[in-house]
Amino acid sequence: MILEMKNIVKVYDRVVANKNVSITLEKGEILAIVGENGAGKSTLMKILYGLERPNSGEIYINGKKQVFRNPSDAMKQGIGMVQQHFMLFDTMTVTENIIYNNEISKGVFLDIDANRKKVRELSKRYMLEVDPDKLVKDCPVGVQQRIEILKILHQNADILIFDEPSSVLTPIEVDELLKTMKRLSNMGKSIILITHKLGEVMEVADRIVVMRDGEVVAEKRREETSIEELSYFMIGRQTTSPVIKDLEPCKEVLSVKNLSKVDESGKKLLGNINISVRGGEIVGIAGVSGNGQSELIKCITGLDTDYTGKIEVCGINVTNKGVGFIRKAGLAHIPEDRYYWGSAKEATIAENVLMGDENTERFSKKGLLNFREIRKHVYRIVENYGVKVSFLAQKMKELSGGNAQKLIVAREIEKKTPFLVACEPTRGIDVGAMEFIHEKLIEKRNNGGGILLISSELSEILKLSDRIYVIYEGRIEHEFTNKNLDSRKLGFLMLGGKTA
Amino acid sequence: MLFSIDYIATIINSTIRMMSPLLYASLAAAICAKADIFNLSMEGAMLVSAFFSIVVNYFTKSVVLSILAGVMASVLVSACVGFFVLKLKASPVVVGLAINNTVAGATTYLLYIIFNTRGVFTHPSLVGIPKIRLPFIEKTAVLSTIFSGLTLLDYMSFVIAILVYLFFYKTVIGYRIRAIGINSEAARSLGTPVEKYQFLTISFSGILCGFAGCLLSMGSVRLFIENITAGRGYIAMAANHLGKSHPIGVLFASLFFGCCQALGNFLQNTSLKTQITSSIPYVATILALIVFTVQKRYAKQKKMLEVFNKDAASS
Ligand SMILES: Nc1ncnc2c1ncn2[C@@H]1O[C@H](COP(=O)(O)OP(=O)(O)OP(=O)(O)O)[C@@H](O)[C@H]1O
Ligand SMILES: [Mg+2]
Repeated sequence: MILEMKNIVKVYDRVVANKNVSITLEKGEILAIVGENGAGKSTLMKILYGLERPNSGEIYINGKKQVFRNPSDAMKQGIGMVQQHFMLFDTMTVTENIIYNNEISKGVFLDIDANRKKVRELSKRYMLEVDPDKLVKDCPVGVQQRIEILKILHQNADILIFDEPSSVLTPIEVDELLKTMKRLSNMGKSIILITHKLGEVMEVADRIVVMRDGEVVAEKRREETSIEELSYFMIGRQTTSPVIKDLEPCKEVLSVKNLSKVDESGKKLLGNINISVRGGEIVGIAGVSGNGQSELIKCITGLDTDYTGKIEVCGINVTNKGVGFIRKAGLAHIPEDRYYWGSAKEATIAENVLMGDENTERFSKKGLLNFREIRKHVYRIVENYGVKVSFLAQKMKELSGGNAQKLIVAREIEKKTPFLVACEPTRGIDVGAMEFIHEKLIEKRNNGGGILLISSELSEILKLSDRIYVIYEGRIEHEFTNKNLDSRKLGFLMLGGKTA
Repeated sequence: MLFSIDYIATIINSTIRMMSPLLYASLAAAICAKADIFNLSMEGAMLVSAFFSIVVNYFTKSVVLSILAGVMASVLVSACVGFFVLKLKASPVVVGLAINNTVAGATTYLLYIIFNTRGVFTHPSLVGIPKIRLPFIEKTAVLSTIFSGLTLLDYMSFVIAILVYLFFYKTVIGYRIRAIGINSEAARSLGTPVEKYQFLTISFSGILCGFAGCLLSMGSVRLFIENITAGRGYIAMAANHLGKSHPIGVLFASLFFGCCQALGNFLQNTSLKTQITSSIPYVATILALIVFTVQKRYAKQKKMLEVFNKDAASS
């Protein structure tokens, strides 16, 4: 047994995040931890990595009791963590990122050549391909994650923690990552994987621990269990799939004509995009991430006003207009990055729910906020959407990742606008809550709302969309109604394949 | 007469003298920026150094001790800022402005207490920083004008710019500090004592400001005037911005601002009003920043247009 965490208790202000949690890990084993949003998975890992201190409980590494006061203590004992939000130095090279804190030097000088050689060796040994001299910001997300992994391998970590590593990756990158994990475990590394995607769990994990409300409620070997059973343990009921009734789409809520965009270095990001969304339909944009989805969304939602072409929202010309104007025209937007665009981490939950509506008649009178009404509204949202919060004045950053996401989704759906842009609406969300959000999206559609759905989860697009555009290298290559499509064909087109 | 070679040589000489204190201060601003510290207090650090170097100079008549005193005072002030901002997490803007105002007030007050004068203090017994004479240059009249009256500290400013460059881009510690500046959260998660590095950086920036202050009070002149720094600390921040916090970029930016100050001084001898001439460096600062930004945006637009045109032609 390489690791044992025994009776870990962690209490935040008014929340018990971990109640007497015990887990073990063998050498070369892959352990998956699954559970609802707010079940306490990340907290447990933060304790293991020295980012948080437990109120009680012990950690044993190779049978010896250890106390971690900070991440470097944990690192010294061979524990490494691939953070969900990458911790990289964007404008430095891959080499400079990997060697940080373990540099080879010549006197006081940094020996770049020797370090580069070291990185090459490392990359070869673990079969994780990187270009040592490339700047990190020029690397795709999947490669950035590889850099993170190499970084902790460079620190000689034997226990690798992955907290929701696949939520930002493309399907191919996910495959790659799962293979990497298998390979690393065969080489004797022990891995803890936290994820909401039970398919991945069944593919790589040796053993699975299910957590609920801060406790371990089940522990199974992979052979002994199934996806259905695991999701039952997690949410305490069976999952169902929603029924989508036929609907005649009504008036157009989004029209994009000849949209093109070029970046500073002259690279073409979007080329002549034409799309339209009408009320009463969900339109999916399928594509491997990094093919222009983010840019397209930024233009449509007004986060980027530097493009050519014409955009109309609900019949109002919003070309080159800013966010405020477009939102007034009838847009709501669930952004891709929940912390960067979606919320203010230091603000309270109530403040985050209010954002964008602070000037409406309902919530303010003559420039003064109407707190009674606001509290009522926030309370209703938190209640209806099952967001796990302890009190309304809690800071956003104290929510678990999935709960933060739920809150943003709730805020944008509840704006009840005719048009909604939903980017990765269920990123980091557990299976139960995912079902619920899907239902809400469909309900909005059935009530005549138009939704543009962007998701790297093919299954989500196929499940919800009435119509699907395929985006590839900044161009919309194909358009389909959902009836004549299957995931194999769609996957093929997403990689730039041509229809026969 | 205006464009005679000698005249230009004198302007160059004056530019160098104006430039070197600015260069020190801009480098101080640059290293702080590189380490992700917002430091506003170069002004105060320079002023305190200028003052205490003159005080020690008056009592000891030793240039070395004066410089030492000036530098130490400046480091102390910078370390204070570091303590407030990094340890106590106070707002860097408030701390910076408070320190600058406090130092301005304190030096004025101490000037009165120690020397019993107001406004200016000078004394025949004050010793200036020795001028360096370069025999091989004195043979040519123009060159000797250009390099006349420069002190060791003036020359050293250029060397230090290069050393700072080597430090940041070639050494291990420099690389780590740069990394902190790029993403301090990431550095922290890797177990780096971020605040410690930042504190050392801002303290070191105090040494540079110390040299700058000494040059102001004991370089070309030997005196202390209330507010002798006259906003150079803020111009240094502009120079840092223009030079993109790169030591060599900062060198050229300080050259530009040094030149503006020199021109401002020279134009005082013409019929222009002093109010106008003395505002030249500051107006130049604002103009330079505007031009810098506009030019950047223009370059971007031009590039976009190019691509569109090429695209239109090809399709
Ligand atoms: N810094 C904090 N202050 C107060 N409460 C916190 C803090 N961090 C987490 N919590 C609470 O602890 C509980 C567990 O959170 P944790 O992040 O461990 O959940 P999780 O299982 O990782 O969920 P998710 O799947 O959504 O990421 C949540 O209810 C959360 O609100
Ligand atoms: Mg989590």
